[in-house]
Amino acid sequence: MKETIIKTSGLSKKFGTRYAVANVDLHIPRGEIYGFLGPNGAGKTTTIRMLLGLAKPTNGTIQIFGKDLKKEKLEVLKRVGSLVEYPSYYGHLTARENLEAIRILLDAPKTRIDEVLSIVRLTREAKRPVKGFSLGMKQRLGIAAALLGNPELLILDEPTNGLDPSGILEIRELIKSMPKEHGITILVSSHLLSEIDLMATQVGIISKGRMIFQDSIETLRRRSSSNIVIKTDEAEEAWKLLLSKGHNAELEQGRLQLSNISDHEISKVIAELVESRFPVYRVQEEKKSLEDIFLELTGGEGGL
Amino acid sequence: MLKILASDLIKMKRKIIWLLIFLGPFGVAALEAVNFGLRYEYLTKEYEKDLWGGLINEAGFLATPALMLGLTLIASMIASIEHQTNAWKQLLALPVSKLRIFTGKMLLASLLLLISSTLLLIFVLILGLVLKFGSDFPLLGLAKMAYYPYLASMTFIAVQIWLSISMKNQAIPLTVGILGTILSLISFRFPDWLPWKWPLLENSWGDPAYSALAGLAFGIVIYFLGAVDFTRKDVN
Repeated sequence: MKETIIKTSGLSKKFGTRYAVANVDLHIPRGEIYGFLGPNGAGKTTTIRMLLGLAKPTNGTIQIFGKDLKKEKLEVLKRVGSLVEYPSYYGHLTARENLEAIRILLDAPKTRIDEVLSIVRLTREAKRPVKGFSLGMKQRLGIAAALLGNPELLILDEPTNGLDPSGILEIRELIKSMPKEHGITILVSSHLLSEIDLMATQVGIISKGRMIFQDSIETLRRRSSSNIVIKTDEAEEAWKLLLSKGHNAELEQGRLQLSNISDHEISKVIAELVESRFPVYRVQEEKKSLEDIFLELTGGEGGL
Repeated sequence: MLKILASDLIKMKRKIIWLLIFLGPFGVAALEAVNFGLRYEYLTKEYEKDLWGGLINEAGFLATPALMLGLTLIASMIASIEHQTNAWKQLLALPVSKLRIFTGKMLLASLLLLISSTLLLIFVLILGLVLKFGSDFPLLGLAKMAYYPYLASMTFIAVQIWLSISMKNQAIPLTVGILGTILSLISFRFPDWLPWKWPLLENSWGDPAYSALAGLAFGIVIYFLGAVDFTRKDVN
């Protein structure tokens, strides 16, 4: 059993009368890339703010590294690096000065600035004022700042938001390399399933403030079971035939659908249809995409 | 605490705020130079017995509104550095207590205004020497002119830091500060307990030290209230 890095129980945050986050139980083991997924406004950022001690939970507890965040906030934050929503920076300062202002507070060695600059590949831009940076560069600077204190846990809120495809790729590769090279645990939020699918090892899906799925990405993928769809004439007659023969078929939009069916059974189904003179036009496999599962889980409201 | 101040000073690099620190006292001294230049005969006759005292009196009268306006702008600028890209969330997710962050901003504002006040002392001293008021200048009197209003306005430094930090829209703290400046100018007739009167160093005991002390003490109280409020609030 791997060590648990983040564990929340019954975490809730109320704004007025509305619960932005309700009863969220996060569980993140060491060394994982945890994809925190949900439509915009589902409560991802609010949850992350609570994890960083920026907002106080209305209810529930947060344990990071096995410590109660409320009691040992500064001890916990020493080992956490974060980037919340759009990047924060001091525009009139250079990249190096920006990092220096944070380094002093962290008591990190001066050499660490060069290290993080090279990790995010900003070494050559280090002497330029940050206000002239592109969004991607600012985002990378934000990640560099998050890495300054040699964190064991990295919390990144929508790190690829607003970036162009090459910027997204760059950040994604950077994130994927962290656990391997530095043994860091990462919590990364996104409203894009495809993003999470490409980098996460664990997934938590939140919708309307509630956690609706939390497990490994494989488990989520396994739910994308395949359907066999058969196209034939007189589908209703054919369907009745299959039911009478004891097959678990469904009739949908004039097509026959069989889910979770073995190869052996499907050959029997086709033989029976042909014997009864139903013309079989097409037998095809339809895989449910992760998007379908996501929409199913979130009850169809979008944000993808 | 020194780390926080060092970090804050890095953030002040290449900011117009440094110009303001210099320009405030320089402006007061320059206006006095014009004042004495134009009315030299009249003023030297008026203050015949104590030329230095006269200069200190005139300069002190101008220094008060300059200080009140200056502290408003400085508090707002210090807070704006963090407001601009909402750096609060980055800053406060660092392993530094919110109390220390707030205290750092308060210290920074106090330190910058202390520099301004010291510059005022130096500029007025130079002006007096240029006007040939004699080399036996009253250093204590000059120091009182520079530092008593500074201490008396500590209340307003605390108020402006609190307001500027707690709201992103700087129009409100700036309005409060400017109205306060005007109020302090006409507060001669107001009762002694009114904080806006303190920077003028006017009180019924006739000792400016009381005004300075009241401003400092009340300033500490307000700083404390502001710090408690800041640590309790969620970060936006």
